[in-house]
Amino acid sequence: MIAFKYTKTDGAEYLSHLDLLRHIDRTLKRAGIRVNVSEGFHPHPKIFMNSPLGLGVKSLAEYCTADCVCEGDFKELFNACSPAGVKCLAYKTTDFNPNYANTIESCTYSAEGIKPFDTREFLARANITVTDKRGRTVDIRPRIYALEQAEGRLTFTLGCGQNNLRPDLFTEILESEFKGKTYGLIKTHSHGKYTF
Amino acid sequence: MTVNLDNLKELLLSSEKPSRYTGGEYGFPALKESAFNFCICFPDLYEVGMSNLGIKIVNESFLERGYCADYCFAPYKDFGAGLKKLGVPLYSLGLKKPLGEFHMLGFSLQFELSYTNVLYMLDLAGIPLLRERRKGGNYPLIAVGGPCAVNPEPLADFVDIVFIGDGESVDADVADIYVQCKGATEEFYDRISALDGVYLPARPAKVKKAIVHDLDGAVFPSKIAVPNCESVHDRAVIEVMRGCYRGCRFCQAGFIYRPVRPRSVETLTRQACSLIKNTGYGEVSMNSLSTGDYPHLRELIKSLKSNLPEGVTLALPSLRADSFDGDFAQDARRVSLTFAPEAGTQRLRDAINKDITEEEILKAVQSAFDTGYSAVKLYFMLGLPTETDEDIDGIARLCALIKGCYRQKPRKKQLRISVSLSTFIPKPFTPFQWEKQADRVEILEKQARLKNSPHMKGVMLSVSDFFTSRLEAVLARGDRRLCKVIKLAYENGCIFDGWDSELNREGWEKAFAQAGVLPEEYTCAIDENSVLPWDFIDIGVTKKFFLAERAKAYSAQVTGSCRNSCKGCGLMKHCLRAKDTDDDSV
Repeated sequence: MIAFKYTKTDGAEYLSHLDLLRHIDRTLKRAGIRVNVSEGFHPHPKIFMNSPLGLGVKSLAEYCTADCVCEGDFKELFNACSPAGVKCLAYKTTDFNPNYANTIESCTYSAEGIKPFDTREFLARANITVTDKRGRTVDIRPRIYALEQAEGRLTFTLGCGQNNLRPDLFTEILESEFKGKTYGLIKTHSHGKYTF
Repeated sequence: MTVNLDNLKELLLSSEKPSRYTGGEYGFPALKESAFNFCICFPDLYEVGMSNLGIKIVNESFLERGYCADYCFAPYKDFGAGLKKLGVPLYSLGLKKPLGEFHMLGFSLQFELSYTNVLYMLDLAGIPLLRERRKGGNYPLIAVGGPCAVNPEPLADFVDIVFIGDGESVDADVADIYVQCKGATEEFYDRISALDGVYLPARPAKVKKAIVHDLDGAVFPSKIAVPNCESVHDRAVIEVMRGCYRGCRFCQAGFIYRPVRPRSVETLTRQACSLIKNTGYGEVSMNSLSTGDYPHLRELIKSLKSNLPEGVTLALPSLRADSFDGDFAQDARRVSLTFAPEAGTQRLRDAINKDITEEEILKAVQSAFDTGYSAVKLYFMLGLPTETDEDIDGIARLCALIKGCYRQKPRKKQLRISVSLSTFIPKPFTPFQWEKQADRVEILEKQARLKNSPHMKGVMLSVSDFFTSRLEAVLARGDRRLCKVIKLAYENGCIFDGWDSELNREGWEKAFAQAGVLPEEYTCAIDENSVLPWDFIDIGVTKKFFLAERAKAYSAQVTGSCRNSCKGCGLMKHCLRAKDTDDDSV
């Protein structure tokens, strides 16, 4: 198996999760890298991606595992055949499935445009209750792991997977309290047992 | 100037399928500006346009000569309205360049109901709709091409250049001349108007369609852009031949794409392998108007199967019932099979020169059932010339016979029959170009008669919307008076007219009233001696031939396939038919 870290930038941030899966499959086909398929009536390639990234959020730290063997430089082969903005940054050969959808626990993002505010005071709050898009009341405080602001750039780490908080939702919440307009939102790191 | 996607983020996120508008597809040609920048404009959604092979061939012809050839598709209403609100002009996918900054925009006219979308795209690009209004301004040349260009008069006020016929070389010839003349000068227009396949609505004159004789040597893309989001036909497409041997009397494509020009097995194998390698698709579709008539079909399938990577499936659309063969139709594990008998009785099938018998239909269905198919989809047309109640009842009878075929043996699944009923539309350059289109009451009566037949029990029946069919008929046989109607319709909010969910009936009705044009004038019978709005175009098939075919229709005489013998349609000089009538095919 090959585990690889890749980008979603340059317009690729607007690809839906399912379309992205299709593109990774086709990229590997074009690169001549054979992916093992599941058994069953409708065999599908064994490609495992991390949790879906919100549409429009760029990323430098997406992870994926493909059940394949690759002779040669995977990164080079992949990048020669992938769509714009979906580019492999690093890869590893592994003998098990790192299951990134479950093992990535948090992600770090950066964004600009939100007016300076006291991040310590914000983090010191016991709870931060918001109404999510489905109308439910949630306390997002436990899902915020870190928050810093320096030279207009906000860097923050949010829970992912079971403890998920969408970065675009988070910046919206900050915008409504501290004003400003978010731009340049990008995922810079994913944190988990098997990330690299 | 280029459009920065980051500035459109909010609009993109609030639009359906934003990846339609971002570009970056794998296989998209690397573009840079050149002496002539061309952008093909497809007046329908990304998913539809990205499935079209013709526009890729046209763009390849520009790229091959070192010109820039970009793409643009009609944005859906949400994104279109958003661009307008933001004041951002419609831009191309590759260079993200506003359409107004290209040297030429080429609109692909696949069907009449996309005409308002041409205006919609021009408007979003900030380009004046009327040619007169663009005069003297710094605007791109507005060109149209594709099948509907055989009667360009309804768009005459909007366009500068009409390309008629095959687009492989003449479009790019125009670019060469533009560069030589250093712009759209009088000399430029003089020179391009001398080319076969070029019509200038500002200078009405007789024009011959452009014909590419050697399809094996003709330009064809070796790689194509793989769409960001799933397109309607998300697979590799090869064009096994252009034209059709059959000459069904209602079918415009069957006449305007003549003569029949098959590609060789070697060329097609090479093209298919190259496309699969460069796209990663899992399926090759062997397209043409009637792929079962391709003279070397078995040889081609064998060659494709042995040369394509393992697991790549073959799709054969446009199979006629008489060329259906269980062993290859089975390939892609399909459960449903589609046939188009078009008419319910032998007499009417003969009158339209469909050249297929009931026995052949039933044999094909039987063989499909025996190879595991459990669903059949049948296409019929209502309102065909000479149609009677007996012909309507014939459709129901045929469904009953098909049910009978299925019951002959015990089968695991329940049979599903779906019948799709369209309305006959008289089209230019067909033997039926003079015919009347049945009116609303007649069509509704015919539909009701069929629905009420006891044989239709358990048959899924879908009928096409009459208003849409009538609009298509009006636009297809239209003249310059319709320019005004189309413009008013667009101003009344009509776009995406071909989409059932989007059709704005009131907008069109109001437009006809405002322009003082009666749609009925265009759907009634036309006298054989009158001058037709498209008479100035010579597509190669003679009017004499169309008249003779029309007469044969009225006596229910079949003309049959060109493969059997030459019928003398007028294109004999250009047609290789006699030579490759060998019998190794179906």
